[in-house]
Amino acid sequence: MIKNRLAKWVFGSTVVAAWLVPAIAFAQESGAAEVSADWQTSAAKAGAAGMAMGLSALGAGYAQAKIGSAGAGTLAERPEVSIWIITLQALPEIIVLLGFVSAIMINGS
Amino acid sequence: MTGPATTRNKATGGKDYGYGNARIRGMKSRLLDEAFMEGLIAAPDMNSLIQNLADTEYGPDLDEALIHGRTAASIDEALKNNLVRTYRKVQGFLNDEAGYIVSMLLGRWDIFNIKTVLRGKHMHLLAEEIAEGLLPAGALSRVDLDALTMLPDVKAVVDTAATWGLAYAPAMRGGYVAYMQSGELADLELALDRYYAQTAFAALTGRSANVRIARDILGMQIDTMNLVMVFRLQKADVESIKVDEFYLDGGRSISSDLYRELAHMSDVDEVLDRLKGTPYGLTLDQAVLKYLEENTISVFERALEDYHMRKALAVGRGDPLGIGVSIAYLWAKQNEITNLRIIVKGKSVGMPIDRVRGELILV
Repeated sequence: MIKNRLAKWVFGSTVVAAWLVPAIAFAQESGAAEVSADWQTSAAKAGAAGMAMGLSALGAGYAQAKIGSAGAGTLAERPEVSIWIITLQALPEIIVLLGFVSAIMINGS
Repeated sequence: MTGPATTRNKATGGKDYGYGNARIRGMKSRLLDEAFMEGLIAAPDMNSLIQNLADTEYGPDLDEALIHGRTAASIDEALKNNLVRTYRKVQGFLNDEAGYIVSMLLGRWDIFNIKTVLRGKHMHLLAEEIAEGLLPAGALSRVDLDALTMLPDVKAVVDTAATWGLAYAPAMRGGYVAYMQSGELADLELALDRYYAQTAFAALTGRSANVRIARDILGMQIDTMNLVMVFRLQKADVESIKVDEFYLDGGRSISSDLYRELAHMSDVDEVLDRLKGTPYGLTLDQAVLKYLEENTISVFERALEDYHMRKALAVGRGDPLGIGVSIAYLWAKQNEITNLRIIVKGKSVGMPIDRVRGELILV
């Protein structure tokens, strides 16, 4: 229970920090001086690429957690299907790869 | 002896059904199929039956039990041990919610065992004879039940239950007073049944799909008990009995009004006719022919139990991440053990193969 609470707290803090830090930086920058259009585009691209990568990683992590839990249960009773479990466990990595590719494409466009 | 040992050792927390249900599916894949059962039925003698069973997951239990001889009683003991071990194992890895629901549903085994001990004491049976009828699949362990069977009489069992602080001790005490007045053990048994029906139903509260499934299963159990009572009352003089006293609350389809109406009907045909609109109508109708052949209400009891089993197995085909998977497996395992015990018993007394096949449940 404590572990769960701690995990939630760490996860929440990370998400909040990930959103707040760039926002504060943006606010300071915009308040300090006139911002060029190029700079704004670059920042938006960087933010979008970060989101594509980060959210896909979170999605993959969630999927792997569920598959891992069920896979551990299956392996406990039927060790002979371990290859299948490893394959299934690896499948969500594709989501991260897609996010990674999207991030590169966003940055490169 | 300080009291009954707790059933659950360790469980995965919260409501994550992934791990537990995956394990259960793995265990379910090892349940014996119809072809294997047919092979057992056709086995020429007890030794080949033991040989076939020894290659399955019953092997370790058989090895342990057959030390006392290669008899039907030893195999029966091995099968019962396997059921208890499996139930304990499942309860050990279920998550908090599933563990709670399953422990509520398996509470019926505690009631069954306590009633078996009480009947044994009422009939002045030996401790060994009573122990043969026990199946410690609930919260009470074999050690607890053995301690109860050693007690001298019904009063001592009731007192010990109170000393251990068992939840149903107050109900037993109330039932014991009625038992002392009437001399009928049914009063004490009824108090236990009523306690179980009320507490289990009250404990399964909430609006989650899992709790609803468990309430349905429990409701069907209670309906079955009420309907069995209705059929038994057909053979009794209902005018001299307060039929309402036998009604158990918490049923799914048999309300107290319907129960009262059914209990006062003159014959079985009338009862079956009235039940046509309920979920049990079709099942009971299909059992009429057998009832006419055998002229015993146990045919209807069996039909109702079969219906209950079918419904319990069906909930496993629902949500793969819900309680249904656990319930279906536990009931399927019980069904398998019951069938195996029938086959072993049939083989030991030389029962014809067709008769054995007819006695099996849902193979």
